[in-house]
Amino acid sequence: MDWKFIANQPWLWIAGLIQASIGAFQAWYFFRLGTRLLEKHGNYHRKEVGGIVRGAVITSIGPILAEIFVMLALIIAISPAYAWQREGVGVGSVFTELVQVSNAAVGAGQEFGTESFNMMGFATAMVVVNVSCIGWSLGAAFFTRYLGTAREKISRGDTRLLAVISVAATLGIFGYYAANEANKGGGREIAVLAGAILSAFLFKLADWIHLPRLKEWALGIAMFGGMMIAYLVHGGSQ
Amino acid sequence: MSTGAVVSKPTAGTAEPAAFVDIPVGPYETEYLKPVHRVGVITTLAISAAMFLPAILLYLIYGVAAPWDAILAGMGLALTYAVPFFIIEPISYYPIYGDAGNYMAMTTGNVSNLRLPCAAVAQAVAGVPEGTRKGAIIGMIGIAVSVFVGLIGVFIGAVAGGAITSSFPVWLTDAFKLYLLPAVWGAVFGQFALRGPYYVLPALLIAGIPLLLKWPGYVVIPLAVFGTLALAYFLYKKFNLAPKAG
Repeated sequence: MDWKFIANQPWLWIAGLIQASIGAFQAWYFFRLGTRLLEKHGNYHRKEVGGIVRGAVITSIGPILAEIFVMLALIIAISPAYAWQREGVGVGSVFTELVQVSNAAVGAGQEFGTESFNMMGFATAMVVVNVSCIGWSLGAAFFTRYLGTAREKISRGDTRLLAVISVAATLGIFGYYAANEANKGGGREIAVLAGAILSAFLFKLADWIHLPRLKEWALGIAMFGGMMIAYLVHGGSQ
Repeated sequence: MSTGAVVSKPTAGTAEPAAFVDIPVGPYETEYLKPVHRVGVITTLAISAAMFLPAILLYLIYGVAAPWDAILAGMGLALTYAVPFFIIEPISYYPIYGDAGNYMAMTTGNVSNLRLPCAAVAQAVAGVPEGTRKGAIIGMIGIAVSVFVGLIGVFIGAVAGGAITSSFPVWLTDAFKLYLLPAVWGAVFGQFALRGPYYVLPALLIAGIPLLLKWPGYVVIPLAVFGTLALAYFLYKKFNLAPKAG
């Protein structure tokens, strides 16, 4: 039987649905717990929670659309069911996914994306890509509670120091990703710069004109704006 | 854990009242953290177990099993790539999104390009300082929302496949593929640059110089995070420099 046919049968859609259900339940439970606590002890009302939700929805649209675009590579190379199973509650990004399928194929003595990739390569990929990402979820299961303790021990309850840690860690991570893209030059460098300037300007503008709702849109506008400016300046070649 | 409510600087133009008051530590631990850890552990273990489902179903339904030597060789390569990130990612991201955020992010993935920006925007909209109990809950709400939107989007994307994106003009598809991700990195960096302007140049240099020297990502990422953290800690202790509110 052709592996491409098997790769889009109900079994894989169902496996993806089971994983997605666990992820959705987890998110729903935490969301409910958090909003209740905010309303009970945080002096928050439904309207304010609504603003937070709106901001997150707007911000998530861009990256999810981008993910769907990149996901096309998985749909074409393997199958829609595989893309759903791996990306619905995919532990890795699509980029990680493509690397890991290629690694699995090499393990089976084949090359992903060529004629040599067959049923054995697919079966190997099914094991390797799924099992190799368990480190993230097992690590979270066993070590999350200690991450907080470690952080508290470092800060000793100093909230200003916690803000130092959070902001510096965020700038460290995104500094890496931004520098990595800027280092490639051309349109990518323009996209990084335009995204950064637009975002900083819009967040500042929201404070200047006392319009906090602008912050819900700021990151989304900056992402699309940065992307469009890069395309207009540099076109479709990297 | 710190004790009692935390009052900090007023945050202008946000949902927070004039003086920021954090959630008291007692209810936060008993009504939030305790159930978060209980359900977090159960769901992350359940997800780990569910990762074996595709291989088991493939064998039970079609009788197809990968040979052990291929699995071992493939796993060896895959883990070489993944293991550094098992350790680096939760340690690096935890200060931003807290316990519940970590369970969700490590279950659903796409952390840097999706979960972190959503957590950051939720905190900015609410005007809460990071590192507070309220900040962790609001960041978590941002991540939870991104999980729901992501599941719906990915399902539609997988079912409708190429039909949706093929209706887009070629230039727009190209723009998405080439430039959205760099714009995301830049936009989040720009947002946080306002909070800690004195960390901006060091953060870029600490990451940028090793990148120019072509050091691998699994070396440069922890260096960028912990290098910037060390410098920020020094500036705080020596000159009392800390991020601005909001």
